[in-house]
Amino acid sequence: MTPLERWNPTVKLAVVLVLSTAALLVTDPVTPALCYVLTLGALLVLGRVPVRTAALAHVPFLVFGTSLLVVNVVTRPGGEQVPLGPFTVGADGLALGLCLALRTLFVGMLSVTLVLTTEPVRLMTSLHQHARLPASWTFAVLAAHRLLTELPEVWHTVRCAQAVRDPRRRRGHLPRSPRALATAAFALLVGAIRRAERIAVALESRGLGSGPRTTARPVPLARGDVVAAVVVLALAGAVVVAGAYGGWLTGIGRLTA
Amino acid sequence: MSQPDTCAPTAPPTSRRRRGLTLHETVLIAVLGVVFGFVYWAFVQLWAPLQLAMGPLADLASNVLAGAWIVVGPLATYIVRKPGAGILAETLAALVEVVFLASPVGPMLLLVGLVQGAGAELPFALARYRRYGWWVFVASGVSAAVVTFGFNAVRYGWLGQDYAGLRLAVQVVSCVVLCGIAARLLGDALARTGALDAFAVGTADPSSTRRTVRRG
Repeated sequence: MTPLERWNPTVKLAVVLVLSTAALLVTDPVTPALCYVLTLGALLVLGRVPVRTAALAHVPFLVFGTSLLVVNVVTRPGGEQVPLGPFTVGADGLALGLCLALRTLFVGMLSVTLVLTTEPVRLMTSLHQHARLPASWTFAVLAAHRLLTELPEVWHTVRCAQAVRDPRRRRGHLPRSPRALATAAFALLVGAIRRAERIAVALESRGLGSGPRTTARPVPLARGDVVAAVVVLALAGAVVVAGAYGGWLTGIGRLTA
Repeated sequence: MSQPDTCAPTAPPTSRRRRGLTLHETVLIAVLGVVFGFVYWAFVQLWAPLQLAMGPLADLASNVLAGAWIVVGPLATYIVRKPGAGILAETLAALVEVVFLASPVGPMLLLVGLVQGAGAELPFALARYRRYGWWVFVASGVSAAVVTFGFNAVRYGWLGQDYAGLRLAVQVVSCVVLCGIAARLLGDALARTGALDAFAVGTADPSSTRRTVRRG
């Protein structure tokens, strides 16, 4: 296991949440850029994620970030006029747009780091052990997760079953009208609810909720996990302090200024 | 459930709904969260290319669909009719998107889910989880829109942009239609299939429901 995979999932999730919330309070482009570089470095070195996987994971965030940049450049004409190719744009919009785009990349990489280095079952077990998530919730979510992995198959079955009963069907084609899709989605939902009923009966018959439980594969929580969290948060703090000294750090007040 | 029944033997059956969620309700909320998390995630995948194609209009258009991401909150509240059901379902949907499906929005989505769920559940809490007429669902939509707008104004820098007022108006309409009213329609349709007979919405006296509707 890589160091990031070994890191206790609950602690990891907490650190990721703290960092992505804190990122909201910063509105300059330099700080999120630095944080993004650090996160990407950790993902590649400590997570040993292949460069190709990391690059592909960037695509949705780049799309989203570009959209945010364009919107802010268009809707905030204030500030100094900066020539940008054939256009002239306001410096305010450009700086804020860049910040929001870079923040998207930074928070996105945090999310990718969490997803690529955490096993869902291990996370739920750890949340149960260390975050005191009640056993009923842990097993309900894990059971629902099993259901999730089967959803695509159920979806296909429902669509085929509905196509068979459609008098106007063409051979080899599933109906693609919005109405057909909505009907199939509704059937999927009803089926899932009926399955929830059966899952609940199954869990109850295995004694869930009748008393304290033991854990099959416990997830360790050692001093190293906490130290790692402190180091990461201290590093983020150092980036902010550097910004304050360097004079480029700005807060939320800038949005309306 | 695991907690000892301190007041069970003498308590009248009506006070049962004041207690915590049963295992059946927990699993139902988990499954609703998972299914809607999957649906939202699929929507986001379809949404991303569209967003790029629309350029600067895309960010404005996100307000048009704002309500669609919140529908599971009022739906869960409508079905289970206990405090916290909507917030839990919405947060779980976000958790599924983030942890199991790697949504492009990132772990922030957990916080977003919490904010959305709380915004949508507020009117039901004010009605003490007893009224489920159309107006409560409309109020739920308005509340969800205002709360999420305040949150996103900071997150996406909408504050101080030229069209902030227009955004808010579009978002309120979207949340009333796609979150509040859609949740009620979906809940009624699900109840008609009989799949919800074991839950509060299925056991609610139909005549009283009709009265609630007429009263507004």
